[in-house]
Amino acid sequence: MSQAARVERPGILWAAPALVFFGLFGLGPVVVVAYLSFTQWNGLETPVWVGMENWQALPGDPNVGHGLLISLGLTSLCWLTQTPLAIMFGAWAAGKQRIRAVASAIFFLPLLLSTAAIALIWRALLDPNFGLAPDIGPFMGLPNGNFLGNGSIALYVIAFVILWQFLPFHMLLYQAAARDIPRNFYEAAEIDGASRLQQFFSITVPQLRNTIIASSILIIVNSMTFFETVLLLTNGGPGTATRILPLHMYFRGFSGFEMGYASAIAVVLVAVGTTLSLLIVRITGYSKMTSQREGA
Amino acid sequence: MRYMSRPHLIGSAALALVVGATSACGTSGPGEESGGGSEGGLEVWALEDATVNPIVQQGIEQFNESSDVSAELTTYVNDAYKQKLQVAMGSPNAPDVFFNWGGGNLAQYVNSDQVVNLSPYMEDDPELRESFLPSVLDVAEIDGEYYGVPMLGVQPIVLFYNKQVFEDAGIEPPETYADLLDAIDTFKEQDIIPVSLAGAQGWTELMWLEYLTDRLGGKGVFDAIAAGEEGSWQDPALLEALSMCRDLAERGAFGSNFSSIDYDNGSASSLLASGKAAMMLMGTWELGTQTDRNPEFVESGNFAYTDFPTMEDGEGEPNAIVGNPSNYFSINSDTENEEAAVDFLTNTVTSDQYVEGLIEAGQVPAVEGIEDQFSSSDTPEFSEFTYNLVSDAPSFTQSWDQAVDPATAEAMLTNLQQVFLGDTTPEEFGEAMEQQR
Amino acid sequence: MMTVESTARTTEPAVGQGRVSGTEPRKPRRRGQRRERPNIGAGIGAGLWFVIVAVPVYFLLATSLRGQGDYLGEGPLSLPTGLTLDNYVRVFEVGFANFLLNSLIVATGAICLVLAVALPAAFAIVRSQNRFVRATFSLFLLGLAVPAQAVIIPIYLIITRLNLYDSLTAIILPTAAFALPISILVLTSSLRDVPRELYEAMAIDGAKVSQTFLQLVLPLSRSGIVTVAIFVGLQAWNNFIFPLVLTQSQETRVLPLGLWEFQTQYGTDVPGLMAAVVLSALPIFALYLFGRRHLLGGLAAGFGK
Repeated sequence: MSQAARVERPGILWAAPALVFFGLFGLGPVVVVAYLSFTQWNGLETPVWVGMENWQALPGDPNVGHGLLISLGLTSLCWLTQTPLAIMFGAWAAGKQRIRAVASAIFFLPLLLSTAAIALIWRALLDPNFGLAPDIGPFMGLPNGNFLGNGSIALYVIAFVILWQFLPFHMLLYQAAARDIPRNFYEAAEIDGASRLQQFFSITVPQLRNTIIASSILIIVNSMTFFETVLLLTNGGPGTATRILPLHMYFRGFSGFEMGYASAIAVVLVAVGTTLSLLIVRITGYSKMTSQREGA
Repeated sequence: MRYMSRPHLIGSAALALVVGATSACGTSGPGEESGGGSEGGLEVWALEDATVNPIVQQGIEQFNESSDVSAELTTYVNDAYKQKLQVAMGSPNAPDVFFNWGGGNLAQYVNSDQVVNLSPYMEDDPELRESFLPSVLDVAEIDGEYYGVPMLGVQPIVLFYNKQVFEDAGIEPPETYADLLDAIDTFKEQDIIPVSLAGAQGWTELMWLEYLTDRLGGKGVFDAIAAGEEGSWQDPALLEALSMCRDLAERGAFGSNFSSIDYDNGSASSLLASGKAAMMLMGTWELGTQTDRNPEFVESGNFAYTDFPTMEDGEGEPNAIVGNPSNYFSINSDTENEEAAVDFLTNTVTSDQYVEGLIEAGQVPAVEGIEDQFSSSDTPEFSEFTYNLVSDAPSFTQSWDQAVDPATAEAMLTNLQQVFLGDTTPEEFGEAMEQQR
Repeated sequence: MMTVESTARTTEPAVGQGRVSGTEPRKPRRRGQRRERPNIGAGIGAGLWFVIVAVPVYFLLATSLRGQGDYLGEGPLSLPTGLTLDNYVRVFEVGFANFLLNSLIVATGAICLVLAVALPAAFAIVRSQNRFVRATFSLFLLGLAVPAQAVIIPIYLIITRLNLYDSLTAIILPTAAFALPISILVLTSSLRDVPRELYEAMAIDGAKVSQTFLQLVLPLSRSGIVTVAIFVGLQAWNNFIFPLVLTQSQETRVLPLGLWEFQTQYGTDVPGLMAAVVLSALPIFALYLFGRRHLLGGLAAGFGK
């Protein structure tokens, strides 16, 4: 410490531009949205303070509870499908054969496309009259190919499209991490006579623990961006079957022009998103990991 | 553990925010340089419409020749337009002259003092006021003052059908509601979608509710809703119309996958044109859509139309209509060129050339005394049909989603989609909308 | 339900089969298992996923190259009868080049802005002894949890009040702000790898902080900078909600929004739409071909381990 103290250190000024900028466009809006949630504002005039009015209306809005529920449902669905598949394919792709490298390259293709592009491709494919849907529907119990217009399956279809888009990314994380697992772990297990499945669960999965945590956090944080996919695929429909909470906020705000009320929903979104992230950080001890690195 | 220092952290965050917020306010103050629109010119916004845009464009060019202020046209697609306009009107990027639907859509801007009152100009020039069909001009009247002029043709909602499909099935287009139900059953048996409905977009479903309510209970049912009367959303006629909508959907009138069909991307229209569907309830702009997307369908003469069926025991007038009385041009009160904008509205939109252009494009202008002029239209029969429909109609109810405020419209369309899907009962619809009111 | 169940079905038995792969050779073991440990279960799963990825990609490419009539007549998965580039030509006729240029400007602007503020901040966070400065790191991490569309209304308010509505700057600012947390995470972790002795050596030579920054920090965090640049560039390239709410005119339209507009205006023109999608992916594809390692790093920014 005494030696280091002689070295001139950068001061607050170095961090100031980032702080001001992030304050203005990153965290500032969180405070502003909290303020707006107590106002009535149609996007045109000056917001008018109305106290708790928007907040009192929230519980009576069936789409808020419903939206929150399917938002969380969609997030869980995405976690449940992406995590096991990504671990499995990631571990598989970490192998050295050429075929795996080629296959991984193909797997990777969805990552080159934007969310909008992917949603539009699937919309064209799932068009019940002019797409592929009427051809594959009958094999999946949907003779009319009505994938996106069927309230009981539209959410699963969305989860599938999201899986299609993001699986390669998470696979990539696991592939990199799996390559770092020392080979001799497996060799030792082999000598002990452990089966492949035992090896997978006793070596691969524990060794990937930190990656699993990081990947899960990403899925949960990203689940808020599912907004675009849902907007472009089903527009929240049929009815309100896929109207996730961010979409409900968007509609109330930018179609109904009840910006104040929409802000109250937005505050709920921020609260839920932050709570979930902090919860994972707490439960998994991810904070210890980062603070250890930070303390270096 | 860095997380132990959280209170400190929040304090610093708050500081950063205060800094951010004040700097945001410091540079604000809307309209520092110009109130709205383009400087020294007129920015005119309209809905994208391949048939009509060239006429407006021509009107603008004509205007530009005689005026020292030059106007410019910008167009947007349907669903995007209302949002773009709403968002823009709150900003310095607002247009000077904007296309709107009259009614509640216009009223919200009027209530925010963002629209120029045209009544004084009309008092100066009574002929201007008398040149429009009164029932159509009245839609731009808010609290007794006029805020817009009709700039497009009348657009009632009519029942379109594919003549070939009806001929093949050996049946006539429906005249009564009972006929309609029979036709639906006939087409269902033949694996033809009886009615093409773009259920992914609630406003197409609303057309059914509007007509059924009007036929069952008359014009007064919606007038009460528009006036915000208590219990108006639970009117027995409205509830019955809702259950009829639901019955139609359950009967298979709209096929099994209507909820994923879109109007804006042309799917619904293509179903009708290709003969996969037999009928479609839509505004008269459907002619433009079909001419644009499926020209061979229009040329073949199979593109046919009729009034919405009558209802034997309904209280409403059998020839009342619903739809868009017209679209309107209004002026942003922040404009720097109000006089030029008024000039554009009063002279261009009523000029013989503009009216003639509308007629040629298959539009039916909301202008008095043009019965004899439709021969220049590409589709004179359709234009005459529409003009007579409007002039014979005892009432012309504006599309509900335009007549109510946007928040109510949003809730109404959402709830209505659920009724069509059978997720919500008519009574639940009524309750939800009463709460909204 | 269907889709999820079916993918689940393909994975669960697949793992089970892996265990009994020796006794139940459902598929011939043709993959180079002699060199590597065989994993038939995962292999079959991967094979299925391969199809699920390849079919839409084939659909995308094939459709973009076929005529409109061919698409409606022959069905989506048939081999195109006559290949045509007409769709691509048509896409350029509706202003695609302009969208492309706007997206490039937004991506470049966001990258420059992020690097300009994040590099000094990361340097300060790693090297400062001021508790407050170091605590800002946690502040930025906290920002990771704020979903962008939850604050779109206040951002809209701020952007209009700053008279920036409907400009490319309006997209750049919030995009950069929301890319900042991860960028700082990446840059701090790459700076933490710089040995303390190097800083001390600089100090002994009498270097000022700014010299240390320019001569030591910048060169040594080069890989971090590339990673951040790609990460931010991708965010800007793909972002949809900021342009959707913060811009309106044809002049400021960026690619993802352009695709959407194309869909509503020329909805049934699926071949044209697919050609537009292909074109929008080309720049990223080029990056993939020539800088695969960097692209992957940018995608997985900060989450490698």
